[in-house]
Amino acid sequence: MIAVLGLVVGVVVGLLVRPEVPAMVEPYLPIAVVAALDAVFGGLRAMLDGIFVDKVFVVSFLSNVVVAALIVFLGDKLGVGAQLSTGVVVVLGIRIFSNAAAIRRHVFRA
Amino acid sequence: MSNEANPNGEGRTGEQPPGAPAPTVLSGRQRLNEGLWPPRISRAQLIVALLLFVLGLGLAIQVRSNSDNSALRGARQEDLVRILDEVDDRTQRLQDEKQRLDDQRTELENSSDQAEEARKQTLEKERQLGILAGTVAAHGPGITLTISDPSGAVEPDMLLDAIQELRAAGAEAIEVDGVRVVASTYFSGDPGAIEVDGREVAPPYEFKVIGKPQDLEPALNIPGGIVQTLEKEQATAQVARADDIVVDALRPAERPDYARSSPQ
Repeated sequence: MIAVLGLVVGVVVGLLVRPEVPAMVEPYLPIAVVAALDAVFGGLRAMLDGIFVDKVFVVSFLSNVVVAALIVFLGDKLGVGAQLSTGVVVVLGIRIFSNAAAIRRHVFRA
Repeated sequence: MSNEANPNGEGRTGEQPPGAPAPTVLSGRQRLNEGLWPPRISRAQLIVALLLFVLGLGLAIQVRSNSDNSALRGARQEDLVRILDEVDDRTQRLQDEKQRLDDQRTELENSSDQAEEARKQTLEKERQLGILAGTVAAHGPGITLTISDPSGAVEPDMLLDAIQELRAAGAEAIEVDGVRVVASTYFSGDPGAIEVDGREVAPPYEFKVIGKPQDLEPALNIPGGIVQTLEKEQATAQVARADDIVVDALRPAERPDYARSSPQ
């Protein structure tokens, strides 16, 4: 419950306060958000499976974000940033979908 | 979305769970309900809440910057370069089109200028020809020749001689007693009842002549010329120069019945 509140508060704060994102971070923010979403769905699924461990969640969340940003950063340096970030988004999207399918099976038993 | 659960869970989150977990009594849905409903403060809840707060923050910022600003914000360098290239291309194309249209406009203006010029020249030519044909009025420097004939001795051919003499001296437009003299003008009749082009004119005969006065006057006054000849016949001829003679007797433009203009 508190976690849900955390999400809601984050969205509200982000919308109300207009935080200035540093220009350095700006290109990586969308990818990082998608990676974090993937981690959250993974955590939700693990919880439903009864195998949730908070430490693992934290590590996977942070490493997802960092790795995604790193890949995009590397892609930018190599000159294939657009393609690579598309690839990352596709992979993360597939994982989000499969996790969502598992969650659905738990919640709706279908 | 929440989490927390029974502490017997182990495994990985982001990835597929590895092996079979310890058997639990609760189903997934029950676990979800349990995690959601009685709000318990635990370390796991707080940590996950913190991470989800960060996620929500990032989400909101990203959504905001995407909807607030143009698509250019947050675009990568190569995208910006590509967009810039496209804009440059477009600018170039528009410049080219502008150049082409400008050229076209200049061309059209020139051609309309030429048409206007041609029209002016045609008009000018028409006026000149009109003076010759007697269809338009003319004015300019010239002389007035007045022949008075008290004794009725002046014959038509004398007037004709006067016309010939004036023409030879460069007269450009001539009018005799209100009759315009043109190429086909003829003199007929008898002394005292002379007809010009079939119209009777009465003395004194007044010639209005446009031409160079310095040429016209001597041409009439030369020894043995018109003036002397007329004086022999008891007629008097007076020549007066004028700066502005108006020849406004007109003649209808007649279309020839047979002759047609030829291109050469």
